Amino acid sequence: MKDKEYILEAIDLKKTFGVTLALQGANLDVKQGEIVAIMGPSGSGKSTLLHCLAGILKPDSGEVMFDGKRLDQMDEAERTKLRRTAFGFVFQFGQLVPELTAEDNVALPLLLNKAGRSEAYTKARSWFPRLGIEGMEKHRTGEMSGGQSQRVALARALAIEPKVLFADEPTGSLDSLASEQVMELLVKTAREQGTTVVLVTHDPRIAAYADREVMVRDGKVTTAGRRVGAVR
Amino acid sequence: MYRLGLRLTLKGGRESLVRLLVTTVAVAIGVTILLGVFADFHAFEKTSDRPSWESTSGIPVASVPAPTPKAELWNYSENIYKGRFIEQLDVGTLGAGAPLLPGIAKLPGPGQFYASPALAALLKTVPKSELGNRFPGVQVGTIGEAALSFPNELAVYVGLAPQQFANLTGTAEVTHIATAAQLQGTTGIYKDAFGVAALAILFPLLILINTATRLSASRREERYAAMRLIGATPHQINVIASVDAIFGALLGAVLGSVIFLAIRPAVADISFSGVKFFSNYVTPTIWEYLGLIIIVPTVAAIASLVSLRRVTISPLGVSRKTTPPKPRSWRLIPLIVGISLFIYAGNHINNGGTGKGNPGPLFGGFLLIMVGLILSGSWLTMQVTKLLARFARSASSLLAARRLSDNPKGAFRTISGLVLAVFVGSVVSVLVPALNQAQNPSGQTSLSNVLRVPYSTGPLDAGIPPTAAASLVSKMESYPGAVVVPFYTNPAFIAFQQQQFAAQSDQSGSGKRVNIMMAPNPNINPPDDSIASCVSLAKLSTLGTCSPGVKAVTVTPDNVLSGDNPLFIYKSLPVVTHNSPVSTASLNNLSLSGMLIKANNPNTLEQIRTYLSMYNDTSQGAGDGTGGDSLSAWQMGDLEPETIGEVAKIRDNDDSNIGRAVLAIVVLTLITAGCSLAVTIGGSLVERKRPFTLLRVSGVSLSTLYKDILLEAALPLVVVSVIAAGIGLGVGIPVVKGLLKNLEPKGTAIPVYPSMGYYIALGVGLVIALGLVIITLPLLKHMTKPEDVRFE
Repeated sequence: MKDKEYILEAIDLKKTFGVTLALQGANLDVKQGEIVAIMGPSGSGKSTLLHCLAGILKPDSGEVMFDGKRLDQMDEAERTKLRRTAFGFVFQFGQLVPELTAEDNVALPLLLNKAGRSEAYTKARSWFPRLGIEGMEKHRTGEMSGGQSQRVALARALAIEPKVLFADEPTGSLDSLASEQVMELLVKTAREQGTTVVLVTHDPRIAAYADREVMVRDGKVTTAGRRVGAVR
Repeated sequence: MYRLGLRLTLKGGRESLVRLLVTTVAVAIGVTILLGVFADFHAFEKTSDRPSWESTSGIPVASVPAPTPKAELWNYSENIYKGRFIEQLDVGTLGAGAPLLPGIAKLPGPGQFYASPALAALLKTVPKSELGNRFPGVQVGTIGEAALSFPNELAVYVGLAPQQFANLTGTAEVTHIATAAQLQGTTGIYKDAFGVAALAILFPLLILINTATRLSASRREERYAAMRLIGATPHQINVIASVDAIFGALLGAVLGSVIFLAIRPAVADISFSGVKFFSNYVTPTIWEYLGLIIIVPTVAAIASLVSLRRVTISPLGVSRKTTPPKPRSWRLIPLIVGISLFIYAGNHINNGGTGKGNPGPLFGGFLLIMVGLILSGSWLTMQVTKLLARFARSASSLLAARRLSDNPKGAFRTISGLVLAVFVGSVVSVLVPALNQAQNPSGQTSLSNVLRVPYSTGPLDAGIPPTAAASLVSKMESYPGAVVVPFYTNPAFIAFQQQQFAAQSDQSGSGKRVNIMMAPNPNINPPDDSIASCVSLAKLSTLGTCSPGVKAVTVTPDNVLSGDNPLFIYKSLPVVTHNSPVSTASLNNLSLSGMLIKANNPNTLEQIRTYLSMYNDTSQGAGDGTGGDSLSAWQMGDLEPETIGEVAKIRDNDDSNIGRAVLAIVVLTLITAGCSLAVTIGGSLVERKRPFTLLRVSGVSLSTLYKDILLEAALPLVVVSVIAAGIGLGVGIPVVKGLLKNLEPKGTAIPVYPSMGYYIALGVGLVIALGLVIITLPLLKHMTKPEDVRFE
């Protein structure tokens, strides 16, 4: 571990899918409370890097450190527990359970984490006004707009007060206005909670919300540095 | 977690409700059918296990015994009314405490009788001269079901005074009534067959329940992946999946039980095996109800968990652990080998007409065909869909063909249970009518309405003495339309038999007559046993004709008078030819060995039968009060007067019952397959909601999508049914022809074809199955509304 201020570290990560080399020695450090945007063209390996950082995928080689522990050496049960307690996720599609209402979806990770029902729902409901979706609690995903769905997803991700929020193209399916609204909420809430955010996007306007952006090309992190004029 | 699982199942919106509804209905149908099979099986078992009072044995009596406490006299016989057997027990109390017969509260006294409800109903509607006169006395009650095997059984207990048994042969003194079940050679076979049939239905039902449980599995698996993303453990996913599966299956099992209870009276009226059971027998046990309510949800949970094991549900989504390989052509090998072996063995089973060939290869071939059909089903489905894809001219057939050829194993799995049922049904449907034809050859019904009345009960029994014979024949001829052919005992035959017996007594050295049948001496041709008048023989042309000018001939009509296989009865015709030995004996001086009486009017036939029954049962002879001789010397043996048509019907019944039961299985499996297909379609609609809606939005008409869905279901169903039926008939017909080669009557070939019932069963089954598929089609319209184009 290089520095205690880094909550996440990726060291020389390599990952292949069949004959496809997704990561070829990627390195990345993320500080506590930092918002990092991972950018790059399609197929460059940015989503794979995020999945390795989140413990969803295990790298073929290299190390992933989370809070000083080797995430890549944890077994599935430990990584599952981390996803339930320390990580939040906002993806482009499919992360909401359509059979459930919006508040059910937000309460779900809390229930999975064995929180009491009333506690889980009280906490879940408290997120709706904060994210501007008050009144949508009883709606199902099919009854909401894309932007509203993503805000519910954001609420669900933040409800467990995660240490790290992983967002993979969180606004990929939204128009520019909705994208801005979702990103503003995401950044604002993360900063309020001190949550670290790792954001994958190919859109410079979305990346502009981050403290720092890194570029991934051919499975390697090629540039890293503080972005000047980040949207605050 | 259980509550969450339940919540996902119950309050998961329209899609969840549709899935729950379809699962529940499908499982309910399966459970209803299963309960029906169990109920029928129990009814059969209970009927088979009924204490058989008919099997009671006692001490034969030659004369009226002295009064004895706790004893009674029995004389059991069977007679027939219009093809239906009547069990008759003449019973007479010998003293206090005589054993009570089952089904009644008190033994009938002399001049009283108890009749079964069905016989009592008949007695009320049929003229006495046709039936009632057979049972002297007054009906004092009905026989309860404890003594009966089925509700419409005809049975009667006739009370007689002990003296009235004096001239009835076969009378026994009984002190204890048998309570063991009747042991019939076929009972065990029927029980086993019923078990196999239950399994044959169980297999497709399990597929149905499995299909229903896994309804729209891939959509659910995506949800599980979403839950995994936010930290749900595999165990939590298993719990949720199990709750989902268990709830639908439990609901279905309970609903199925309720439906079965509602339709149970109707089920009791259905006769799969040709015999209606008592309705209170047609019921599953409480353990079976409970068992199904426990086992079906358990099976559903296991099926659900097994299906989850086949996929890897990662937080990123679902991936199949293995991509199923396409079925390959080696799957045809067992089928081809089986067909070849079956046909070869079938052609050689007769072993040159001896009928002594080894049946092992035949059964082996049959088994291989069944295995081969299951193995090759997916390959055949794939080939047909490839053909369809190649020649597809419409969008719907292209869509259906591509979808089916993508997963032919999945398409075939849904209907695999059907293949065996249709195959076995096809073979049986060829075999049964052929056997019936063989035993009652087509065009050989000339003796159907001919009542045969044998009077000679053994080689030394001459039959009815001449005086009584003349009046009996004359009485028979007095019935309107009756044609009577009397056969008289050939004195030369009796002399020959006496000579043989004397020789045997000498050989025994004891000086006593050894009362056993002698093995025929091949070097001695015994004379014909009967003499018949050529004039009377000519009245039944089927029997043949004498040479012109001949008045009487010696004949051997044994087969016609007492044979129990119509095939051999007809094979023994003609009884008389131009070469028959001429007899110069005076018929008026001969005893009557038997009669053939033809009456085309069935009522006349029953009047004759009733008269003969009374004539035989009363020591005074004719029951109408006219005098007669003592019957002790010429009492009929075990054979009651029966028509040749009735003899044929008795033999037909066993085969027909098997055939009917097999066809019932075919229909049930077709319906089950239809349910499975309907469920599969329902599931595929849920899963393909997005592409179908997009197709509709992009201008594809609803009818095109309907055709696609119908083709996807109907194609494998019809193709597999036709192939299984084709193979069943293809191998069945030549093999059955081979089997029957030496049974065919002279110069004729037994036509081998499937019964009409087979075509009806197959057609009705297919129509119902397709109907079930069509029921799901409105779902398509509802679920793919263009206004709902936005997806989560």
